[in-house]
Amino acid sequence: MSEIGLLAAETGDREELSLLLGELGHRVDGAARLDQAVESAREGRSRAFLVVDGGGADAEVLTRELVRAYPLMPVLVALKTRDATRAVALMRAGAFEVVAPPWTREDLKACVSKSLRFTGTALTPVRLAPRRRSAAWYALAVGAFFAVSLGAASLRRAERLRRAEAARVDRWDLPVSHPAGLAFDGSDLWVVDWFSQSLYQHSRADARVLGLRHLPAETPVAATFAADAVWTATADGAVVRRMKDARLTPLERFPNGAPGAAGIAFDGLYLWILDAHAKVLRKHLPDAALTVLSSHRVAGLKPVALVWDGGALWTLDAGDRLLRRLDLERPEQFVAAISLPEYGDGTYAPTGLAWDGDRFWTVAERRDGKGPARLFRHRREDSR
Amino acid sequence: MRRAPGLIPALLSFPPEAARQDSWGRLLTLTSGGAELSTATRLLKGEIVLLSFGLGGGEFEAVRARVEHAEDDADGRRLAELKFLDEVQRRALARSLTDLLSRS
Repeated sequence: MSEIGLLAAETGDREELSLLLGELGHRVDGAARLDQAVESAREGRSRAFLVVDGGGADAEVLTRELVRAYPLMPVLVALKTRDATRAVALMRAGAFEVVAPPWTREDLKACVSKSLRFTGTALTPVRLAPRRRSAAWYALAVGAFFAVSLGAASLRRAERLRRAEAARVDRWDLPVSHPAGLAFDGSDLWVVDWFSQSLYQHSRADARVLGLRHLPAETPVAATFAADAVWTATADGAVVRRMKDARLTPLERFPNGAPGAAGIAFDGLYLWILDAHAKVLRKHLPDAALTVLSSHRVAGLKPVALVWDGGALWTLDAGDRLLRRLDLERPEQFVAAISLPEYGDGTYAPTGLAWDGDRFWTVAERRDGKGPARLFRHRREDSR
Repeated sequence: MRRAPGLIPALLSFPPEAARQDSWGRLLTLTSGGAELSTATRLLKGEIVLLSFGLGGGEFEAVRARVEHAEDDADGRRLAELKFLDEVQRRALARSLTDLLSRS
């Protein structure tokens, strides 16, 4: 409840407004003239003035005087005749609010309530964002929220599937029983089978056989694909460079190029051949003599295959079932190792290794020799 | 954003076809693009209002605006969000506001 100073020349107006303000819970201090109102306000505790315009009183003059005497006290004006221009003029003169006739409790309540807690107009040269939003805006916001939630859920699901896919190990039984090596030509896998003296071309997607290259003149044990040739190593220690045609036509033969060869890899510059019997890795220059540049002892129990993954050499060890990443500067040492739990039960012995740019593949024969060989696609390294 | 010492009074008039009496209100917010107005007049969304007010010693007469949103506030007064429609008036208002704010 607040005390309101009421300035009205006519008694009827004072009584009417006093009654209305009283109904709103305010105490009214009425006055007929300006000096009475000023004096009364000085003695009392008025928090606002209500001035009646008309009936012989000029509210504009009264407002200016009251604002001058009490600059922090809001002045309300009640018009006896509705006149918008006059109302604006009164407000410019200092009236906080102007009440139009007929005076009602609701109008007075709103005006008094506002005048007791007013602030100035906020000014800015740029348009502010709308404070209130339309139903369409909220609908869009809810839609956007669900879209983002759905998107996030989809991404999570995709990531979960990707992880599951990466962690999955695929295995296929092969139509051969004696694989000795494995190679990747950029799109398909090639299983080297010494018993049938053939290279089997398999789809990377489902391991189905796409083709067969029979090499009746030799017993292949390893193969690798270079940019312009295919290199194969044979059981009698020869190395053969071949065309990348449908028949793998031999181009050059190096009779004693790879004694004891079990794996062969080409790093783009040098040919690397793994001698499983001597457990030695030889680095060859692919020249006319297949010159040996260096030889290195190979770590592990029983290295049986070799592959170049585009950045490093890896060996496959059938003894401790490990993939070892060799240090290119010192191939005697390895800098990383990956276990192959797929061979943990000892049923299969790995014999060949390939890298398809994403995952390692191995081929293995059954240790008991009874049954088909098996091709494994191993989990991604980042899922381990 | 700055705040004026008082709420700017504004005269509200309406296009002839609206057949409405002139009224008045207070600007709670004023930008070059629009304003927030507190008034006793029952403004409705979509309605066209011609706003006249003084700003920084200058007068803006019959600034054409459309009511973008209107609702009753806690005191029972109409709180209306206005969008100024006339580009020339908007630019003039922007100049006045920039000038006024740079002086204060």
